[in-house]
Amino acid sequence: MTVSVYEEIAFWILGPLSLAGALGMLFSRSAVHSALWLVLTMLSLGVLYMVQDAPFLGIVQIIVYTGAIMMLFLFVLMLAGRESSDSVVEVLRGQRIWASLLGIGLAGLVVAGVARSLGDVTPAGLDNPAANGSGGPGNVANIGQSLFTRYLFPFELTSALLITAAIGAMVLAYTRKQAKGGKNRQREMVNMRFRENTRPGALPGPGVFATADSVATPALLPDGSIAKESLSRIIETTPVTQIEEDEALADRHPDAHALTGAARDGDDGASIVASPASEERSE
Amino acid sequence: MTTPASLPDIDYAGVAPVLIILGAACIGVLLEAFVPRSQRWAVQVVLSLLAIVVAAIALGAYLYTGPQNTSTFAGSIALDRPALFLWGTLLALGLGSILLIADRVVEPGGAFVAQAGIRPGTMLDKEQANRSSMQTEVFPLALFSLAGMMIFCSANDLLSMFVALEVLSLPLYLMCGLARRRRLLSQEAAVKYFLLGAFASAFFLYGVALLYGYANSVKLADIANAAGGTNRSDALLFLGMGLLLIGLLFKGSVGPFHTWTPDVYQGAPTPMTAFMGACTKVAAFGAILRVLMVAFGSTHWEWQTIMWVVAGISMLLGAILGITQTDVKRMIAYSSVAHAGFLLVGVLALDGSGIRATLFYLISYGFTTIAAFGVVSLVRDGTGESTSLSSWAGLGKRSPLLAGIFTFLLLALAGIPLTSGFVSKFVVFAAGMSAGITPLVVLGLIASTIAAFFYLRVIVLMYFSEPAADGPTVTLPGMYTTAAITLGTLVTLLLGVYPSFMLDWAGTGGFVV
Repeated sequence: MTVSVYEEIAFWILGPLSLAGALGMLFSRSAVHSALWLVLTMLSLGVLYMVQDAPFLGIVQIIVYTGAIMMLFLFVLMLAGRESSDSVVEVLRGQRIWASLLGIGLAGLVVAGVARSLGDVTPAGLDNPAANGSGGPGNVANIGQSLFTRYLFPFELTSALLITAAIGAMVLAYTRKQAKGGKNRQREMVNMRFRENTRPGALPGPGVFATADSVATPALLPDGSIAKESLSRIIETTPVTQIEEDEALADRHPDAHALTGAARDGDDGASIVASPASEERSE
Repeated sequence: MTTPASLPDIDYAGVAPVLIILGAACIGVLLEAFVPRSQRWAVQVVLSLLAIVVAAIALGAYLYTGPQNTSTFAGSIALDRPALFLWGTLLALGLGSILLIADRVVEPGGAFVAQAGIRPGTMLDKEQANRSSMQTEVFPLALFSLAGMMIFCSANDLLSMFVALEVLSLPLYLMCGLARRRRLLSQEAAVKYFLLGAFASAFFLYGVALLYGYANSVKLADIANAAGGTNRSDALLFLGMGLLLIGLLFKGSVGPFHTWTPDVYQGAPTPMTAFMGACTKVAAFGAILRVLMVAFGSTHWEWQTIMWVVAGISMLLGAILGITQTDVKRMIAYSSVAHAGFLLVGVLALDGSGIRATLFYLISYGFTTIAAFGVVSLVRDGTGESTSLSSWAGLGKRSPLLAGIFTFLLLALAGIPLTSGFVSKFVVFAAGMSAGITPLVVLGLIASTIAAFFYLRVIVLMYFSEPAADGPTVTLPGMYTTAAITLGTLVTLLLGVYPSFMLDWAGTGGFVV
């Protein structure tokens, strides 16, 4: 087996890239960036596998690792909150120095050992059926052959692993709904909404006008007054109190065509619709 | 052209015990879905106990009628005498653990939480603490774990061993976090065990990769062959072996890889601690024994010094740190680290007598551990188990029978004559002496003496100090816990008084290559 020029070119491009990805993952502060750096490493590795006669492995690497696992990773990060970060306080003093020293030492040991023992080895190659002792040429045939003959038992045993994982997720996440004290079911929530709430339907959305389209813009009712329910209480920039003040100032009969709740006054242009939006923009 | 794949020969009678346990676990999962909640506990207990008994019968039948020293599934699973002995050990210890898990008298509703999904400390959680139900998924999970352990100690290639390692660990991680009382502690234990276990698995896998690079095979026998016949660099072999052993020693809670042990033993629900302490030890040492003897036996001159050091560190660490503990469960955890060191002495003898000694040690230590944790689960106060050593003061006056049993078990752990602990230490050290590792044996004796100190301290505390006014009470155990404690204590006594039959069983053969 010889290393072709193209293979060498691919290696010298992808090798540094994957290394950069790994280092970037270690040293970037944000967890999302770390995950994206890791994606780079995995993609480069996938392509490297393909270059080395293992297209099946390469594709699996890309589909499973970058496709499924890393995306799941990102979902979890988003659920847990992008900003949440680990505490960087050292509980054990000098732990980080020792950990990095020993880690670098282990890496050096492994690299030196592998380099020394693989220096003068002739690779068997994956395309050669005689060398890997099974099936015909090609990744898929060989892997299939191995899975159902030599490694039949561990292959079947992985199903036990999958069952355990599924039960584990159920046990840890599922709670039975109790009639009393527990979380309400959908039916109970609907009943409650109709019984206790005067508004069974959805709340009005925010206003969308030529002058403003921010979610912080209140919607107007047909008579031109402001629909306060249209403002989300969780958006901090909504100046609800300011609206109330403006409302007190404004004419009780606003002009629906003016698209601003207090346009009649027109004294300082402090239209209550535009003000939250402009405030937001100025931030 | 591809040749059509033909299935490997499968010795169904041989692997029947494993298949029965796995099948019962799957049925248990289905029962969870279809049986009404009120009947699940009873059905699961019956199914689990039945499965273990049937598997034991299948094992016995195979032992009498089946061929000796074969392997099946294209050599993935060894059916040699040590493997079958370990299967029997695991089934017996599994029976004891299931009995402890099934108990609902000591802690009303069982030691496991009614609903793990409810956040600890909330109103709902306080309400469910007194509800008399439990997550019955624990039973199928325990069976899965048990099957994984059985496969782990009979796996003859590293790939099967890795999958079995995961099959045995994953349910354990999960079950550690399901305690009914002190749930945060229990969940912390589960997370710690999971994270460290994942690291150990990664090391194991990296080692497998390097060994495959060295030998072009993951079969243990092929690794031994590749190590024997060539003059190429051994760097890959020993690097791979080192990484592989880190994973294995972690599971056996040996020496410097023991850091998870005290926290997890303390946090996990006590029946689960018993299961981990007894069965995981058996599985891990079964695998260590096989890997060291079959795959690396031919190169033992190169690595045995390092393993001696590991064994020595494990004995001393466990014995010395055990003295400083103030919690019974933590104390037994450190004692298990020390015992792991003693076990390694037997393993490192690397001959037939070493196998015999290790197997005997495993079965006697397992039964003592199960009984000891059974006793620990009985000493309770208002908030659950009272594991602080100071609250055990004067227990001998309050409950002489319980204190007597615990004294006997502690003496067994310390290795006093007429208990199984003495015989097992004796055979292990004898095997070590005959294999020429005298310094390690001397170290072992010193460590045993140090460890005996903290066992005796508990005994003194129980008998010679005044009971505290607001001390814990001893709960009257139900049928299941009584059975488990009785089983463990009787076996400890039996193997101490009349060990020869078990030693004969343990010494009937070596590993198949």
